[in-house]
Amino acid sequence: MNNQQDSILKVTGLNVQYGSFTAVKDVSFDVRKGEIFGLLGPNGAGKTSTLSSIEGLVKFNAGSVVVDGFDAREKPLYARAAMGVQLQSTSFQPELKVSEILQLYAGIYGVPLTKDKLEEILKEIKLEDAASKKFGELSGGQQQRVSLVISTIHNPRLVLLDEPTTGLDPQSRRQLWERIEAIRERGHAVLLTTHSMEEAESVCDRIGIIDHGKVIIIDTPQALIEKYKNDPEVIAVSRRGKVTLEDVFIALTGRAVRA
Amino acid sequence: METIIPKTSTVFSALLRADLTTQWRNRRGAILSLMVPVIILISWKGYIAKIGGPATLANSLCYGLISLGLMGYSNSIARDRDKGIFQRLRVAPLPSWAIMMSRLAVQLIMILIITTAIFIVGFNVDKITLSPAGYLVTYFTAAVGGAVYLALGQAIVGLTKNAETVNSASRLVFLAFILIGTFGGLGALGPQIQEITHWTPYGTVETIMAAGMAPAKWDMDATNALLVTLGYIIVFATVGIKQFKWESK
Repeated sequence: MNNQQDSILKVTGLNVQYGSFTAVKDVSFDVRKGEIFGLLGPNGAGKTSTLSSIEGLVKFNAGSVVVDGFDAREKPLYARAAMGVQLQSTSFQPELKVSEILQLYAGIYGVPLTKDKLEEILKEIKLEDAASKKFGELSGGQQQRVSLVISTIHNPRLVLLDEPTTGLDPQSRRQLWERIEAIRERGHAVLLTTHSMEEAESVCDRIGIIDHGKVIIIDTPQALIEKYKNDPEVIAVSRRGKVTLEDVFIALTGRAVRA
Repeated sequence: METIIPKTSTVFSALLRADLTTQWRNRRGAILSLMVPVIILISWKGYIAKIGGPATLANSLCYGLISLGLMGYSNSIARDRDKGIFQRLRVAPLPSWAIMMSRLAVQLIMILIITTAIFIVGFNVDKITLSPAGYLVTYFTAAVGGAVYLALGQAIVGLTKNAETVNSASRLVFLAFILIGTFGGLGALGPQIQEITHWTPYGTVETIMAAGMAPAKWDMDATNALLVTLGYIIVFATVGIKQFKWESK
């Protein structure tokens, strides 16, 4: 293991196939220490398949995934221990109380959780009064906060967030962005998928645009806008005169609505 | 920062604690599984003189185990799969078998509770008593019998993705077992059907449990029934595990 390495996640030549359909074709990218990397793409572009391969939920046909120096195929448990994951749907047993869910995942990740530590975590996510509430009784924003804190409960080197702000109101979304940025400040690498260009532009240090299973481009949001601002296709799709990341995204991936 | 893989025992105890809590919060379903054999035991009072106390206990216990494996276990697995609870657990550094082992451990505890409850009701209502060895062997045969229905429940969840379909399928199979047990097993549909029923997953479990309650009378038929029961466990569990998908999408 090389803890000094710059890349916390290294995906190389990833291929994912479902029967005869190739969902991910030769995808390569890396996520560096202290970086928020956004994976953007239309529906069915291959974002979730890529993320699922990294998480170990989908078996990839070719390529490699290395998390904090651990090959996800050769040492899957170590690779999973080095990452924290927030799935698209916040999926915990609805009968369990918030404190019980935290205890469960602390146990699973081998993190000692004292009463004081538990209270500290709950205070941090402003849920100190909700410890005895069942997960199913929380609001969407509260569930997301619990989900995010669980994904970082073991202080992982890499945090994977699959559309973390979907369905949240603007206040909750802003609050979650701050929490994601705080994760970066602590030196973690963050890989997130999103459909929100505003989110990608505000939070991500670099973004990768994926379409039809292939990575089209990787760069910083500002560099992408700069690079394509005079492109006739981008100008053609621009709605307000000023070129935005969304204009670049639509010009690169097309206007057609995906299923 | 060192990457730590937690001990399997730590992971397992965390899972087990959560699964037991979930089971406790969903105790209505468990009480229903318990009520089925108790009601049967009380309502079959008249059969005790005809088929004997141990056979009556074995029959009612069989229904409890069927209810637990088919109605309880399969539906809870289907629901959690639908909600993505398994996927969330699978992204953590724990082997997938630990997730299922914890669930099965909870079911084993439930089997022991139902068996004990049947013994208590059998004694208090019908004055049915067994020898100490009989009680002990029955706990073992109940665990084996319970495993058949849990494996069958697993097979249903393995072959069916949708939670609603799992619910309907398990209810249908449950009803089939009730009919087989009530009419086929007691000979109401003729000796041929009674013989076929004897070798169904209902019949073999009922046989080993009745034999287990009187271990001194354990015979070749009981041994054969035990072997067939183990065969059912292997077949159902193989289908259930091989066909099982961790997500319902």
